[in-house]
Parts: sequence; structure tokens; C-alpha cells
Amino acid sequence: MNLKTSFPKGVQSSEVLFSLPYDLNDRAQPVSGHLCVTDSEILVYLNNELKSRYYIDDFSEFKCEQLVGSSMMIGELKSGESIAFCIFRQQEFLRYAELCKLLDYYARTGRLITETPEDEPCCPKCGMPLEGAKECPFCANKTGLFIKLIKRVKPYRKYFIIALICTVFEQILWLIVPNITRMIIDDYVTPKNTDWVGFFVLCGLLVGLAALSCIPNSMNMRCSFKVALNMGKDLREDVFAKSERMSLSAVTKKTAGELIRRVSGDAAKLESFVTEKGKDFVVQAISLIALMAILFVMNWKLALLTVVPIPFVFLLTKKLFHTMAVRYTRVWRNMTDHDSVLHDILNGVRVVKAYGTEVQEIQKYTGYSLKAARACVRAEIVWYLTIPFAEFVMTVGNYLVLLFGGRLILDGGMKLGELVQFTTYVAMLYDPIRWFIHIPKEFSDAAVSASKVFEVLEDESSLKEAENAVESEISGEIELKNVYFGYREYAPVLKDITMKINKGEMIGIVGHSGVGKSTLINLILRLYDVTDGQILIDGRDIRSYAQKSLRSQIGVVLQETFLFDGSVLDNICYAKPDATFEEVVRAAKIANAHDFVTKLPDGYNTRVGNKGYQLSGGERQRIAIARAIIHDPKIIILDEATASLDTETEKQIQEALGRLTEGRTTIAIAHRLSTLSGADRLAVLDKGKLAEFDTHDNLMRKHGVYYGLVMAQRRTTKMRGQKQAAEV
Amino acid sequence: MSINEESFAADKLNILDCGRLKFTKEKSGFMTLETDGKTYNKVNLTRLQPFYEKTRFISVNYENDEKEFIEIGVIRDMKELSDGQFEVVNDFLEYKYYMPLITKICSIKENMRGSLFVKAVTTAGDKTICIRDWYRNFKLIGGKYLYVCDVEGNKYYCDDVEMRLDKKSLAAMEMFT
Repeated sequence: MNLKTSFPKGVQSSEVLFSLPYDLNDRAQPVSGHLCVTDSEILVYLNNELKSRYYIDDFSEFKCEQLVGSSMMIGELKSGESIAFCIFRQQEFLRYAELCKLLDYYARTGRLITETPEDEPCCPKCGMPLEGAKECPFCANKTGLFIKLIKRVKPYRKYFIIALICTVFEQILWLIVPNITRMIIDDYVTPKNTDWVGFFVLCGLLVGLAALSCIPNSMNMRCSFKVALNMGKDLREDVFAKSERMSLSAVTKKTAGELIRRVSGDAAKLESFVTEKGKDFVVQAISLIALMAILFVMNWKLALLTVVPIPFVFLLTKKLFHTMAVRYTRVWRNMTDHDSVLHDILNGVRVVKAYGTEVQEIQKYTGYSLKAARACVRAEIVWYLTIPFAEFVMTVGNYLVLLFGGRLILDGGMKLGELVQFTTYVAMLYDPIRWFIHIPKEFSDAAVSASKVFEVLEDESSLKEAENAVESEISGEIELKNVYFGYREYAPVLKDITMKINKGEMIGIVGHSGVGKSTLINLILRLYDVTDGQILIDGRDIRSYAQKSLRSQIGVVLQETFLFDGSVLDNICYAKPDATFEEVVRAAKIANAHDFVTKLPDGYNTRVGNKGYQLSGGERQRIAIARAIIHDPKIIILDEATASLDTETEKQIQEALGRLTEGRTTIAIAHRLSTLSGADRLAVLDKGKLAEFDTHDNLMRKHGVYYGLVMAQRRTTKMRGQKQAAEV
Repeated sequence: MSINEESFAADKLNILDCGRLKFTKEKSGFMTLETDGKTYNKVNLTRLQPFYEKTRFISVNYENDEKEFIEIGVIRDMKELSDGQFEVVNDFLEYKYYMPLITKICSIKENMRGSLFVKAVTTAGDKTICIRDWYRNFKLIGGKYLYVCDVEGNKYYCDDVEMRLDKKSLAAMEMFT
């Protein structure tokens, strides 16, 4: 990142290592200032004059404090006092955060890194960071977007080409019809020719052509349907698979309703657009050219009259395209909000019932539904107010043809049959033109869906698999070496964590809420990659393992047990679909689940209901433990696994957990410190750092952070006891 | 204070007596508060309803050594502070919540891929505000408060679009809110 973006007057680039501008003073007034860093000093300039000078060595820590509308760069002196160097708007935040990281590294190691990586590439058009994408997903050419979509037809090109040929063939058949009509009028009707044989042959030909067109029509429908279904299926599967592979941080940014809309709604819209409109585009373009050619050959003057209004119509629809696109984006947004609310309410139906807020939720849903309906109406209304007018302008040519064609007949320059043939072709010409007029509407709608689908398909945020990722069995030894991590790189949640967990050891992680306990577990599971440092399993960097292989050897039991809608058996087998029934029962027995499952009328085939709501909290938890144990993991992670259970159930679960963790490396988080009594050692996190790491007894003797936590918890328990006694 | 009193004190909103508060600016950018003979360092001020009330219901808080959030109390209305104290507190809040006010929207362009380019006149000058995911970052809250957050995280607002913006601005933003 470029950390030399602006200099105070009189200061040369070579004189400083870093120089960044700041733009606010401590009264929120706009100012022009600079913060420069040399190899030993921090210099703060205001209006090009040196205001303050600090020595870097006097500071122990540097950080960027992000406020709501602005940010500050702060340094902590070794004496403990904090200094705010400058205040700036958010556009400078990332650069200052990077600068703080470098200075902080210097404060820790005594090494000042002056070479900083290149700036994150930005889109030359809109200036937004590319975030790993090859081209700006927001400014990408829309035609390119549709080319990408059309390429998805490739596996089914055989059927697509058959459908295309059939449609072209059908169009050719219909092109012959006006010619036969002309022959009937000019050769038989007008001269009152009584050669009935010829007359009936021509009439028969008309009927025959109509009947013949059924064959290509039927084949076209069959092939188009096949292409549409398969392409839609592929698209849905790809979007779903990609959203499953996306990093946890990328997925959690989107609501479930939004992802559902992208997987089903948008993919379905594109399926019909590409297969129907893509094929029709070719057919309609060929029809347009062929009909124009026929009309100009027949009578170029009349043909000119026909096409004169057409450019105006196309100009009008081109103008409409943008308006329609914006309105359809609004429709998309409102429909997504609608889906998210629906998903939310249905998922929280137990809460709704418990609080008796059904009417409130119905009103809420109605509001969103109404908003979505209104957005649809507003999108369509512009179209339907404009298009009848456009169609009228387009058909003006037809009236002109009738006027001048009629005069030609009266003057003997044209036969009646020829005029009928000509006007029939003109009427046929309006079909492709009408199609092209309507395409901006369809195109706008599909473009919005395409952009949403490709936003998921082209997401680059997934955790990268190493080139030669290893799929090996692990024994369960874990080592963290100077691990730093922040959900945002500039704001570390975990700092400099170093610890070694031996194979088969049980480690309890304790600390205040928000200190980073669950984050540490997420790193061991490799749901995120460390910002700095290394996590080693059996001496090998966690990033060198194949993700699937690694996670298949880790068992997880969380406080919020999520069961999928299916049977008890399906849920236990989730991590090992090929498990035998004996293995399932064994896992259930270890998890203390077998007894209650046996008592259920449908045994292991009992459906657990949506999210397992047909079971009690303790029962769900025991199934989760069975699920964690069935694939014989080498590492077990317990995240507040017994926090929401009553004492009796907790006893049973603890018993099950005892069996689960036996001989396996276990990392457990528990708010109630007594739950971790079986832990071999305890890792105490404080302010994002590993404050203590020892056995319970040693930590109690030390009177440190852990001792404080235990004492605080004892006081709370005592207070509760006194309060309850007072109430009795 | 007995254990019971202490435990029940937690659910009471402690409205601070503004006459007994003395805020001073710290070099750290935060505040020092002296009240009832006690001194609190690195005090943070938070607007409890930042969208609707800029000078009422201000939480006065700090983080203790264990990084726990401790609320000293709440200022019900900053008008109760002396002029000098009002200025000190207001200065901090103004830069913490620094948000230029949008006074006019000249045009809005959408690039069909979820981004908006809003040409606007703001109290920080004329801007072309680039917004990604506009359906999240260009929102009308409660029907009249326009909240805007650009691609770099800068925030803008208009507290009452009907009152502050002209008809042309309202027409320009109508399709996007």
C-alpha cells in the first residue's frame, strides 16, 4: 500500500519514509495537514508548518481508532499516556492502519519495514478496489456478462443448434405464405380465373405449409426445453456450490433470503433469458434482414416508407433501457428484502408464537410484500405507458404503404396481390422489430439477475487451497506460533498467541466475552486464515492441509446445535455418510443418545423437524455429540457445549463429552469455569493476548487474570444465592 | 451499597447531573471527566440515538483495564451543560460522528452492478459519492433520514429530506430509496 501519498510543502519524498494527509482538526473543522514518518521521528504538520515532533522509540504501541465518521491515529507512550496524532476521514483509514501496523511491528521487534506492497489495484473507471477480481465486477461490460452466460449453453450446443435450425426453418416456411397469397389473388381472384385445380393446389399448399411448420415447431420446443432445464440446473448448482465454498466472512455478509434469491430466482430468470432470448435473437435478426431484403427487392420506395419510423422507435427504447434497469434493480432489492423477512419470520416462528406477535409479523410481512408489489408496478408502468406509443409510431409506415400502394394500383403500377403480399411482409417485419423493442425490458431485468449471480460465481474471497495440499492423517498436536488475527486486518482480535497443545491433551480456553476465544477456535478449524504467524498441526502449517481432509479429522460441538431436517440417523451420519448402522449406534451410545432415541416411536428414523425442534435442547446436543464422534476425530472442539442446559442434562452431556474427548486433543470453551475442571491446562486470553497458560492449580496460586475470573464468578454465584434466599 | 442494591442498580438509567461534570480534552483524543471527586480518563461519549438526537441522551463511558465497558451515566440533554462544557463535549461528538450534511442531490447514476454515483452538494463541498451495494448504503431511515455510506466508509446524511432537499433532489433520489 502506498504510504507516501502527499507531502507538506518543502518536504521532499526522499526526506521521509512515509507521509500521509489528514483533513480534520479536533473540532471537526476541515484542515490541511500531513503526518510524516522518518526513521526515528513522527512529524505532524498543519497547513505545511511543523506542529509537533515525536520520537518513535518513546512509544510502545500504535493503533488506528475507527470512530463513526472519522478515525484517529493514536500512539501509546511507554509511560502509559496516549497521544492522538491526527484525525482524518475514512478514505485515509486503511493507509493509516497499515502505517500503524508497521510502526507497531517496529515497537515490538525494533525493525522498521519501509518497503510496503503495491496499492490494491483499483478499477480505472469507478476507482473502487478490485478485491482480487480480474475486472471490476461493477463496471464489467454487460455484453461480456451475457457472453459468459451464453457460453454456459456450450455443453448442450447440439440441442441448441437443432432448436435454432428448426426455428429458422419454420420462419422460412412462413415467408413463403404471402407469395402464395399473391398468386391466389393476382392469378385467380382478380381475373376471376376458374381453373379450380390450380386454385385448390395453391390453397392446399397454404394448409400444407401450416401443417409442415408443426414439425420444426415441436422439435424446437423439445430441444429448447432441454437446454433451458439443463442450463438452469447447472447455474443453480454452481451458484449454490460457490456460496457454500465462499469464506465464512463473505457468506455472513449476505442474508439467507438474499442467497436463496440468487440460487433460485436469479438463476431461473437467466435460464429462460438465455435459452429463449438467446435463440430468438438469432432468429429475429435473420428474419429482420430477410424481410427487409424481400421488401426492398419488391419495391424499394415503399420499403423506405416502411422503415422510416423505425430508427425513432429504437432511439426511444434505447433511452428506456437505463430507466428500466434502475427500476428492475429496485424490484430486485425489494424482492430480496421481502424474501429475507419471510425467511426470518418463518425461522423465528417459535419466538413469534411465544410472544404472541403474529399480527405484528403479518403486518410487517404485508408491508414488505406491498413495497415489492409497488416496485414491480412502477417498473412496468413506464414500459406500458411508452410502448403503445412506440408501437403506433412503428406502424405508421404501414399506413403510408397502404396510401402510396393504393395509388400505385389505381395508376396501374402495381397489382392488388402484390400489395397484399407487400403489406403481409410489412406486418411480418413488425414481429422482429417488436421483439427488439421489447428486448431492453427483458435485458434490463436479466442484467440485474446476471450481475447478482456472477457476483457470487466470481467471488474470490474463498480460502485458498494450497497447491499441493496434503491429505494425511493427523495425530492431534497443535502449535500456535506468534498468531495475529483480525476480521479486519487492521484491527487484530488476537495478538501474538504462542502455545503448544500436546496430543491427547485437554485445553480450556477462558477469558472475558469478546476476548477472542471463539475466534481462536475458528482459526484452528481454518474457517479463517491467520493474519500473521502460523498454526501448525503435527508440525505442518495448517494451510498446507487439504481443507476437507483437515476438517474431517476435527469434531465440533457448539452451544447452538444445528440439526438438519431429516432423521436422527441422517444427522448422526452427517459427517460420515458411509457409516454402518453399528457405528451410528456406537456413536449414539457414547453420546448418551441411544436410550432416548430408542424410546422414540420411530427410533433412529424419527424426523427431527426443522432445525431439530421436535427434540429437547439436551437431546439435540447429544445427537450433535454423536455426530462429532462418528468420524473418529483426532481433535475435538467444544464451544460452550453445555452452556444452555439444566444441571441434570448437563451431567449427562458431561458424561458423554468425557467419553468423546478420551484420548483426543480437546479444546474447550466454557463460560462456567467449573465446566473446565477436567482440563489439563487452561489458556487465559486477555485483551486479545495469551495472558496465562498453565494448570488450574498453578494459575490459582499465581493470583493472575485467571484467579480474578474465578473470584469474580464465585462472587456472582454468591450474589445470586443471596438474592434467591432473600426472595424465598 | 449493599450487594442487592448493587445488583439492582444495573437496570437503572443513571442520568448525570450536568452541573457536576467537568470534561477536559485529552491528548489521546478522548476526554477526561471529573465528577463527584472522581476522575475518569479516556472517557468516550456515545450518541445513543445518532440518527435522531445529536445532543440528547449521550452515554458517558470508558473501558476499564479488563477492556470492560463501563458506563458512568447518560447526559439527558447537552443544553444542561455550561457553554464551555457544551463546546468541549460537542467538539468531540462532532468529530467522532463527522458526517457532512447533504444539502442537494444533483444527479444519481447507477452502473447496473449495484453501485451508485451520487453528485451532491454537502457541507464538506461538492462531492461525487461512490456507493457500493447501494441498497444497503443509500437508505432512507424512518421515511425521512437519508443515510449514505460511500465505498471508503465515509458517511453522509440528511436528517429530513422533505425539509432540506429541493424537489429536484427528491426526484433524483426517489428511485433509489
